Amino acid sequence: MKILVVDDTPSNAKQLEMVARKLGHETVFAEDGLQAIEQYRKEQPDLIFMDIMMPRMDGITAAEHIRTLPNEKWVPIIFFSALDSVQDVVRGLEKGGDDYLTKPANLSLMRAKINGFARILGMQNDLREQTHELLNWRNEAEEQARLGHHVINRLVDAGGLRDPLLEWFNMPTATFSGDLLCAARGPDGVLHVMLADATGHGLAAALTALPLTQVFYGMVAKGFPLASITQELNRKLKAIMPADRFVAAILGAVDLTHHTVEIWNGGMPPPLFVGEDGGIHKRWESRHPPLGILSPGAFSGATETYNYGHPGHLVISSDGLVELDTGAGNALDMAPLERLVTSTAPAARFRAIQAYVGDVLGENSGHDDISCMLVHAVMDEAPLQARPDQPDTVRSGPVSEWRLELSWGAQELSSLDIVPVVLGLTNQIRALQPHQGVLFLILSELFNNALDHGLLGLDSQAKDAEGGFERYLAQRTASLASLNQGRIEMALHLHMDEDVPVLDINIADSGPGFDFKGYERAQAEPDDGQHYHGRGIALVRQLCADVAYSGSGNRVWARYKL
Amino acid sequence: MLIRDTLVDGTATLSLEGRFDFNSHRDFRNAYEAMLNNPQAREIVIDFAKVDYLDSSALGMLLLLREKVDAAGKKISLKGLQGTVKQVLEIANFQRLFNIKP
Repeated sequence: MKILVVDDTPSNAKQLEMVARKLGHETVFAEDGLQAIEQYRKEQPDLIFMDIMMPRMDGITAAEHIRTLPNEKWVPIIFFSALDSVQDVVRGLEKGGDDYLTKPANLSLMRAKINGFARILGMQNDLREQTHELLNWRNEAEEQARLGHHVINRLVDAGGLRDPLLEWFNMPTATFSGDLLCAARGPDGVLHVMLADATGHGLAAALTALPLTQVFYGMVAKGFPLASITQELNRKLKAIMPADRFVAAILGAVDLTHHTVEIWNGGMPPPLFVGEDGGIHKRWESRHPPLGILSPGAFSGATETYNYGHPGHLVISSDGLVELDTGAGNALDMAPLERLVTSTAPAARFRAIQAYVGDVLGENSGHDDISCMLVHAVMDEAPLQARPDQPDTVRSGPVSEWRLELSWGAQELSSLDIVPVVLGLTNQIRALQPHQGVLFLILSELFNNALDHGLLGLDSQAKDAEGGFERYLAQRTASLASLNQGRIEMALHLHMDEDVPVLDINIADSGPGFDFKGYERAQAEPDDGQHYHGRGIALVRQLCADVAYSGSGNRVWARYKL
Repeated sequence: MLIRDTLVDGTATLSLEGRFDFNSHRDFRNAYEAMLNNPQAREIVIDFAKVDYLDSSALGMLLLLREKVDAAGKKISLKGLQGTVKQVLEIANFQRLFNIKP
């Protein structure tokens, strides 16, 4: 501790110095008030002993002046004076002194005073350091929250969320959200959505969200099926996050051409399909643990698909919305939300949910992030209208010839996502890049026909029966898993045909084929629009310049004009 | 949250009471680490009978414990699931990750 001793009598100063030095403190000196102020500025002492009666400026005036100087720490001033009346002591303490010692000095009292102030100053020092440290922590935490907020906002600000068939809101708990919303169209126009609820908030949540959005948007754009996307999301999270971090999530694929809603639900309240009639036609319970918990081998990407015969809404919410009503948290009660969506007119549903959340939040603040997505499952969206990248009038110039031949056996067919893989190859060819969406549709339809009907022997007409679509999918999954022989070959040939660039697509399967002549006759008859089967191939005919079957019906050729 | 522990015939039971959330982190860890380090305790049972609230960080703590129990070559079970606690664990499909006792 550095002590400033202010006294015009050298013997007094000397005495104080000796006591202070014995206690291990350093001393600096001033002989009057003016010098005291100067030394105070220069030496920055921790404690001041101040005589009162001195030439040029007295101690009280000096103390008052020192108190007006800016200083971040408190420097105690002890008056040390021969003036010993009670009035003198009181005046000294009132004018900025922290203690008062009368002369002549009692040495042990002087020592006790110095020790006492050293203790207080020590504690004050610790406190100041802790406050400082705390402040740094707070600044750092705020900075991290700000960074997390920024990242999450960027991630959420994806074009896919501005889809005309989608409405959503996200109300974060405090500064921001652990809920992540994503939406994007696949190359075939299927609307994919994800609502993910990461443990934690701020930077922690942003850290988890980053790989999620990358995988989601990347794989949806390439046309991977939902099961493969969830598998990859889980693998990635499991690999990078610690054991106690996970992400509850719902992934959905709404196919507006085939009128299906496919859902994977891991740890979230059930999404609902609400018809225009107000009925809840489908409820997807959580069938899986959240993402990031199970090892890739134990994880299941199994989805549940609902085939909607009439238009309606897919309503997806985070547990914040479901918990909302209780205020106390935890009672996962779907009833208020269900009453709300079933009792409001279809067009007013989203507004009603939003207003409901606003009302309840007005009364008590939400305990969790509250997010909601509503997808308009319509019947009549033209298959390709939703994609702006679709070339319509612009035709490509001459192309150089390119040929690709691929062949897959049973094992690959049952385990690989073939069409996205092929699309990854065609996407390398510049001339084909603007046509990815259409190519995905054509290749998917032709390939799935070869696999489903050619190799697996599934009957497409079974889809038309009540509940037939779900049964068809279950049967397909089972047959595919037990497929042990068979082969599908695909050949793509990009070339010029009479000055027009064309892509010829040949697909052949090792199955028995089918009565394509009878099928073609049936196709010539007017369609009543009520059948699910045959819709795909009709679409291919619409998109291609020519489609022809050959062999026993196990070979198909399609020509697409660029 | 209050935690009481008993050890009977190789089974260590941690009985939780109150809100099992982020603030219980240290207490919960101290309680289970004592059991993990105790060679007498071959199985750890978490009793939720008196838990009235469970948040996602509590689920995280259970997952962490599950990993440590596996590493220590012991067993873990959950019991006394009721009300909303049961609901939360079921939605997260924890019955697929933990042995559940009645």
